[in-house]
Amino acid sequence: MARGKLERKPLIPVVVTVIFFAWLYLPILAVALFSFNDKKSLSSFSGFSLRWYDALIHDSALIDSLAASLRIATIATLGSLVLGTMLALGLERVRSRRGRVIGAVTLLPLVTPEIVTGVAALLLFTGIGLKLSTTTVILAEITFSIAYVTVIVRGRLAGIALEVEEAARDLGCTPFQAVRLVILPTLLPALIGAGLLVFALVFDDFVLAFFTTGVDPQPLPVRVYSSIRFGVSPAINAIGTLMLLASGLLIVAALVIPRVLARGSSSLDLITGGDVR
Amino acid sequence: MSTSTDPTEKIATTGTTPSVSLRGLTKVFGGTTVVDDLSLDLTSGEFFSLLGPSGCGKTTTLRMIAGFSDPTAGTILVDGEDVTSTPPHKRDVNTVFQSYALFEHLDVRGNVGFGLRRKGLDKRTIDQRVSEMLELVELGDRGKERPSRLSGGQRQRVALARALINQPKVLLLDEPLAALDLKLRHQMQAELKQIQREVGITFLFVTHDQDEALSMSDRVAIMNQGVIEQCGTPEDVYEHPTSVFAAGFIGTSNLMTGTWSDGCVCVTPTLRIPAPGHQGSAEGDTLSITVRPEKVWLGDLTPQMFRLPGTIVETSYHGATTQYVVSIGPDLTVTVLEQNLPRMRAEDRWNPGDQVEMGWLPEHTVVLR
Amino acid sequence: MATAVEAPKARKSPRSAQKTSLWGWLLALPTAWMVAFFVSSMAIIVLLSFGRTTNDGYPVFATSTANYRAIWNQVYLELFLRSLLYALATVVISALIAYPVAYVIALHGGRYKNALIAAIVVPFFASYLIRMYAWKALLSDDGLVNSALRGMGLTDGVTFLNTRWAVVGGLVYGFVVFMILPVYASLERLDVSLIEAGKDLYHSPVRTFFSVTLPATRAGLYGGVLLVFLPALGDFVSAQLLGGASTYMMGNLVQQQFAEGQNWPLGSALTVGMMAALTVLMVIYLRATATRTREL
Repeated sequence: MARGKLERKPLIPVVVTVIFFAWLYLPILAVALFSFNDKKSLSSFSGFSLRWYDALIHDSALIDSLAASLRIATIATLGSLVLGTMLALGLERVRSRRGRVIGAVTLLPLVTPEIVTGVAALLLFTGIGLKLSTTTVILAEITFSIAYVTVIVRGRLAGIALEVEEAARDLGCTPFQAVRLVILPTLLPALIGAGLLVFALVFDDFVLAFFTTGVDPQPLPVRVYSSIRFGVSPAINAIGTLMLLASGLLIVAALVIPRVLARGSSSLDLITGGDVR
Repeated sequence: MSTSTDPTEKIATTGTTPSVSLRGLTKVFGGTTVVDDLSLDLTSGEFFSLLGPSGCGKTTTLRMIAGFSDPTAGTILVDGEDVTSTPPHKRDVNTVFQSYALFEHLDVRGNVGFGLRRKGLDKRTIDQRVSEMLELVELGDRGKERPSRLSGGQRQRVALARALINQPKVLLLDEPLAALDLKLRHQMQAELKQIQREVGITFLFVTHDQDEALSMSDRVAIMNQGVIEQCGTPEDVYEHPTSVFAAGFIGTSNLMTGTWSDGCVCVTPTLRIPAPGHQGSAEGDTLSITVRPEKVWLGDLTPQMFRLPGTIVETSYHGATTQYVVSIGPDLTVTVLEQNLPRMRAEDRWNPGDQVEMGWLPEHTVVLR
Repeated sequence: MATAVEAPKARKSPRSAQKTSLWGWLLALPTAWMVAFFVSSMAIIVLLSFGRTTNDGYPVFATSTANYRAIWNQVYLELFLRSLLYALATVVISALIAYPVAYVIALHGGRYKNALIAAIVVPFFASYLIRMYAWKALLSDDGLVNSALRGMGLTDGVTFLNTRWAVVGGLVYGFVVFMILPVYASLERLDVSLIEAGKDLYHSPVRTFFSVTLPATRAGLYGGVLLVFLPALGDFVSAQLLGGASTYMMGNLVQQQFAEGQNWPLGSALTVGMMAALTVLMVIYLRATATRTREL
């Protein structure tokens, strides 16, 4: 089967690809490596030690930030899943001009630089007198994440023929039951994938959190940023390694689990196979 | 012989309520009339096919009966009850979709039992009926599988079982065999017919394949551009088409036009084809006639036959039969179908360029409107 | 002939009214949310851009164009141009990287295709901040790269950080995946026989690429350009961590007004200016690429 496979491997592109992967992973591996350094240096590895991780556990401010980030990510994920799915279902069925306008507006956060949405959120909250806190972060993150969920769910929804919904109604379901009993279960893999993806994105998100956070507790990325402003240190390597590991695992799960649950449909297909337009 | 265009005339006038009655059904889509004042009665227990080319309105009609499309005008009655404004989930009608539309998140048993669960039957009854239905469609050992693991033919059977189990007043089938390959399609046609006989439910079968319609149906309605051109048994429709479209859509129609004169249709000054028994035309009227290819004989003619000379233009061998295209005049050809038995050997068959004397029995000339 | 024809009457089916209302409700809640939190927040930026700061340092709404007049000076415009330049450089470099990588994976990846793409996607969606930090750590004067160079006796120490290359490098590192994915998607859908026919015709891989592969994957490229340019233009993290005052981008300027400078109206005006410029560029870009992708 020759489809998609050429015969000779072109040398230069392959070299570029290898270099690319090395360039991609080198900093990450370096961060991980030096998080286990027993000295403070980031350029020479003297010995293996867990002291920086130990310090993390005893850094109560950091633990608070971690807890805050987890809370924010969880609530934001649930919120954006609910709103994003509602939006996706509504947009697929309402074909009017109004529907298309709403669809376009929902995608705006994706093409707006994050600094703009951050500033906008800050102004809005201050303007209505809402004090900055983890709540404001959550509200902002939900607003931003709805777009991701909508795109992923719509992608999966498009693959479910209209006839499936009609079949459900033909067999005795009210339109609402058809959604609840047939469409949502079929969407489940996409929902899980979207949820995991959003969780990772929100957990790691810096810019939006930076503008909308209260004084205490700050989300983890914001606190790490403050530390970085002071300079590099293995302590940051340690927390950084953990963050990378956590998000990495979440993303892998987001790609793999939907594919396992429903043959051939993973978030990856939807990211790479879909048109963002 | 009931050769009528009135589809509301039932074959068996037993006085039973028709399973489905359509009255003046019309559907207009953005300026185009897709279904035009359609009226139809389906007898209880019959296998009825709606046959026509793409875009003729057959699927739209089906969807209106199922409830997925609202008619612009007209009424739909199921078993005597007006369901025109009833939502699909309340109609006693079930559909087998062209794409099968199986629920991927349920296994086969879950799919088949879905309708019964919506009706609130108890688990034991549902299980039993599901098992019976799976036996009927010969999927007894596939109950626990997911639809994605089944072949096209198996998925089709699940779709059928899922619909039939609810014992609807009428089962709507929207070109359900279109996605299957030829051999499987023939097999499924036979099975469907048998299942229909067994369960005795009225089937409304939509298709564009004339062979399918002819072989499976008790009655066929030919649809074109939103109207029913002809409705009758397969024999009626094939042997006695009433319109040029009906003649052309089913089988090969050797269509000829001419003027009615003295009991004959004059296609050319030298070609006057007798049409005994035709009434109602005046001298000079333009008429179309057709004669089916298997009714035409090349040689071995009997005295009663109308005869004319012709020249073989093309031959094509089809194993059991051979098809000839014979020229009988300028720009005028007739397609003839012969069984190969009398002339099995190649040298016995006609070749292009041969002069033949051909003919057919006058009663096989069909006059069309 | 038993045709009891009833007078056809046009009815408005109650069912269709019910149908749209369910989906309508589904749309209503998220739309309300988006309007409340997104649309209105955008509106406030515009409103505040006409505002001013009180003597106590509080931003208030007003109707002054002072902020816009303030932006229109050489320093800020230079900054804007620099941001444009960096973003464009990021796009170009990303394209130069994306094509070979996507090409190799799509057409020579075989059954490792998905794993390879996942291997790219996973780090990119995992903590942008930490990855920028990773480069800061690597490239700093006593970081790994410099000590390796010193160890090899090549140099006494190169200043990597605080240069425009570090910033652009950071931007590329952060956003190249948004170019790789669309290009990969286009290449995946490409019929390989097209390329082979091209090779027959042109005999040179380079010419085949420019005459066959590139035009056929135009859509992916155009999408990628947009997806990289937009975030790169507004970024401030890369310049903040890897650059310095001489490499400041628009994003840094905006951030300053809100985080440190405390001049919110000015910051709003800057943001509006940036969005306006972006919109203009996007419209021009979409017009230019739309006519050519119509055939696709």
